[in-house]
Amino acid sequence: MRNWRHETGRRVALAGVALALAAVAACAPGASNSKPDAKSTGAISTDVAKAGKVTLTEWDINTSGGADTATTQLNKEFEQKYPNVTIKRVARTLNDLKATLKLALSSKNPPDVVQANQGYPDMGAFVKANLLLPLDNYAKVYGWNNTFPKQLLALNKFSSDGKKWQTGNLYGVSQTGEIVGIYYNKKLLKQVGLPLPKTFSEFEADLPKIKAKGQLPIQFGTGDKSPAIHLFGVAQAAIAGKQEVRDMVASSGSAKWTDASTVQSAQVVSDWAKKGYLTAGANGLTGDEASANFGKGQGVFRIDGTWRLAELDQAMGSNVGFMSPPPMKAGQPSATEGGEGLAWSITSKTKHADVAGAYLNFITDAHAEDVLAKTGNLPAVQPPSYTPKAGSLNADIFAAWKTISQEDGLTPYLDYTTPTFYDTITSNLQQLIGGKLDPKAFTKALQADAGAFKQSN
Amino acid sequence: MAAVSTPTDRTGAPDDKRRAGRRKATKKSDRIAYLYLLPAFVLFGIFLLFPLIHGFWISLYQWDGLSASTWVGLRNYGEAFSDPGLRSAFVHSLVLIVFYALIPVSLALLLTAVMSRARHTKGLGFFRVVLFLPQVVASVVVATIWTAIYAPQGVLNDFLSAIGLHAITKPWLGDFTWALPAVGLIGTWVEIGLCLVLFLAGVSQIPRELFEAARIDGAGAIREFFTVTLPGLRPQIAVALTLSVVAGLKSFDLIYVATRGGPGTQTSVPAFEVYHRAFDVGQVGSACAIGILLTLLILIATVVINRVDPGESR
Amino acid sequence: MNLRRDSAINYLILGFFAVIALFPLLGVLSSALTSPSESSASLSFPSSLHFSNFVTAWHQGHFSEYMRSSAIVTVSVVVLSGVLAILAGYAFATMEFRGRSVLFYVLLLGLMVPEEALVIPLYFDLRGVGLTDTYWALILPQAAQSLAFSTFWMRTFFRGVPGSLLEAARIDGANSWSVLWRILVPISRPALLTMAMLVFMWTWNDFLFPLVMISTEKLRTAPLGLAFFQGQHTSQFSLLAAGATIVALPVVVLYFFLQRHFISGMLSGAVKE
Repeated sequence: MRNWRHETGRRVALAGVALALAAVAACAPGASNSKPDAKSTGAISTDVAKAGKVTLTEWDINTSGGADTATTQLNKEFEQKYPNVTIKRVARTLNDLKATLKLALSSKNPPDVVQANQGYPDMGAFVKANLLLPLDNYAKVYGWNNTFPKQLLALNKFSSDGKKWQTGNLYGVSQTGEIVGIYYNKKLLKQVGLPLPKTFSEFEADLPKIKAKGQLPIQFGTGDKSPAIHLFGVAQAAIAGKQEVRDMVASSGSAKWTDASTVQSAQVVSDWAKKGYLTAGANGLTGDEASANFGKGQGVFRIDGTWRLAELDQAMGSNVGFMSPPPMKAGQPSATEGGEGLAWSITSKTKHADVAGAYLNFITDAHAEDVLAKTGNLPAVQPPSYTPKAGSLNADIFAAWKTISQEDGLTPYLDYTTPTFYDTITSNLQQLIGGKLDPKAFTKALQADAGAFKQSN
Repeated sequence: MAAVSTPTDRTGAPDDKRRAGRRKATKKSDRIAYLYLLPAFVLFGIFLLFPLIHGFWISLYQWDGLSASTWVGLRNYGEAFSDPGLRSAFVHSLVLIVFYALIPVSLALLLTAVMSRARHTKGLGFFRVVLFLPQVVASVVVATIWTAIYAPQGVLNDFLSAIGLHAITKPWLGDFTWALPAVGLIGTWVEIGLCLVLFLAGVSQIPRELFEAARIDGAGAIREFFTVTLPGLRPQIAVALTLSVVAGLKSFDLIYVATRGGPGTQTSVPAFEVYHRAFDVGQVGSACAIGILLTLLILIATVVINRVDPGESR
Repeated sequence: MNLRRDSAINYLILGFFAVIALFPLLGVLSSALTSPSESSASLSFPSSLHFSNFVTAWHQGHFSEYMRSSAIVTVSVVVLSGVLAILAGYAFATMEFRGRSVLFYVLLLGLMVPEEALVIPLYFDLRGVGLTDTYWALILPQAAQSLAFSTFWMRTFFRGVPGSLLEAARIDGANSWSVLWRILVPISRPALLTMAMLVFMWTWNDFLFPLVMISTEKLRTAPLGLAFFQGQHTSQFSLLAAGATIVALPVVVLYFFLQRHFISGMLSGAVKE
């Protein structure tokens, strides 16, 4: 046996140094790619049948439940309507999509249509790198400005340098509305003998009572990082109020992440974890697993988004209800995290922009909203043709969405704040929940990220 | 450390002695040799050396991978020591090296010492194949399996509950204290077989007379181990340490699949930070600097470890 | 000294570690054969054997595409780096030329460079010339990374060949080209096989390069497919276990048939970095 590493050692190191010293004729990295031009409205063809044979590749995050059913069905219908188009679908979990979309968009053959997450980490970065096509003229041609509420469209807007969010060009349209709220297990709630909480403090007071009865108060898992945002977001929306959260996320006004109200929200979440109101070891349980556990009857409450509608409806039937997080004072309007599903966007390198535009319109028009509603999703715009069954989870969710929209109670997802915020807030929340960080240190970490971004922008 | 030639070398270490008169144009035989080397070196140069240098070049800039970059000199390297997140990633790497290299090597040495008392274990071939198996399974597959074992309702917790230790069950990969050791133990599982197989092969090559002489001198098991077995196993120890330390430093696949650096940043390691910084948070310059630092670490580790083994021709 | 007791202890130790090595792997196999209705989030033991998971995973997880990609990339890397290593190893082993040691140590540097240090610059370089998202983006860099090991391996072997053999051929008037292909390569078949096996294993199991370089679904390699498959099946392990088995199988099967080659290669301290 020969250990062939005998021959290595100092000489290899020397060879390496010699190489490193070899002059490299390289220039500073960083490419300047040209801005994608918005097509003028006159040049847009809405007639897909005339486009010839086209393969449209789309990436979405609808890997499970009703969203999967709806996407499959709408794609099939589009292909039936236009036999000359083949749709190639790639579905990934949000976590995997976030990890690979940047690489895919910068490649030579990016997908034509992608679901991009709103805010600075994803959509802002893509716009900055000229990877997405501005859709304003498609919006004109297809009348999206009238179909969608203004505030929902604003979430998908960016200035063309990717620096200013909620203004400038439109870069995507969303199919679904979303709010984060409280799912509750009706049977268990009856068992512990509690009414639905009317205020946030009532909700908080319920938790120890549930625990005392030997039930798990809140089923929760954040092993895949993003769910903790929603738990904290709900507490923060209630305690700090909608205006303060909006200012923080949009980096406007004087609100800081270190303000007392946000520290208090962090304290609440930290106490929940400490006192055992959340599933033990939540950092090792994914959101999907926690949701499945809640569906199996483990946990009285579950704080999660309306995207779980189909899944929990199927698992629990009439035993599950949904409510907006209750306000601080009884009778006040609720505020909660929410907005819309990921934006469907067109990539700037696509060769079939018009077909992609028509596809976007097809999956967000009145018929599509109807399909979405019937497959257990919450459409961004209520289809007039659909009324949910009374007493069902659908009915609860549709009502909550309607009320929140009318009362203007939506606060944006916190990860929109800066390009690195998703990373910062998720990893620090895991530490807060794991008891590794106190609320003050936690909010400091968030403010450090947000402050640095505000300075550089 | 000088390059050591082995008995099998016929030409000795290739030292260039520039003889007078060789300064003329390259000889024909030289040209033929270069032709043989050319294809390999073209591929090697374009796809390994050039990217390595280019990576070093990028590491001198602050760059988000999308827009224009700013020259920052060696600041990205300074961050490896000043940035607490990055510093802890390097510390995590050291912890993993303990699990990947030190534990398996010491354990395997101990077992080898016990086992070398008896010669000629029959059926060693079968055990060798089995013990070596974890080495050949893709680390993505290994990570998938262990994620399931460590899961909150996984086999490990079931087992602990069954033997009455329900109190200590936890989601191992989501626990701040345990996530890193849990990942490390996966490494231990992978490397232990390699070390055992290596050392058993090494022991069988130690001349029998040495053991017998030690026993005639009245050496006990412990002294026999330190005077005969350990010195005789030096080359194998060097190989085992090199392989396992390098594996510990390059644990990207495992971390990506099992934890993505979580919970918090409890299991982030340099290899994962390279990917994470370059493609998740847009710090390409810093990512390249970590890549270069990782190369240096591997280089240093290899040189230091191979000093343990002064070669076979002593 | 009690020989019998000693060897009993040996079997006990070996048996214990063999069980530890096998348990997770057999656990995956048994989970993969569990019917989805009995499946949990972890390893499970089937009441009856279900092979349907393999079929489901194969179709639903697109493993047929992934395995095809993996096969194309891996075989190309083995052939390309093998041929180049034979040529270069031959020159290093049998020829005197200026700069021999410098070139040799430069090549050895390749043993020390981890793929993590190369993947980012290579990604931007290859993207610049439009090669990302093609098989070339995996084949060329991975072949280059295997070269250091392979060349060293071949050089060692060629040096061990008795000089008299080569002398005799030269006296017969054979040139260096035919000496290599007619004499050296045929007798180095075992060494070539070991080298091919190790490069096959490294390439097949590689994850970082495909993760970064490839975004088109049908070009993705098997380990990558498994990682994405995992994200979608966290609460049902039986399908995932089937996927994991499919991905690991080619290398494991080769290993069982050629285990001597694998082990002797690895034991010589081979590592691709």
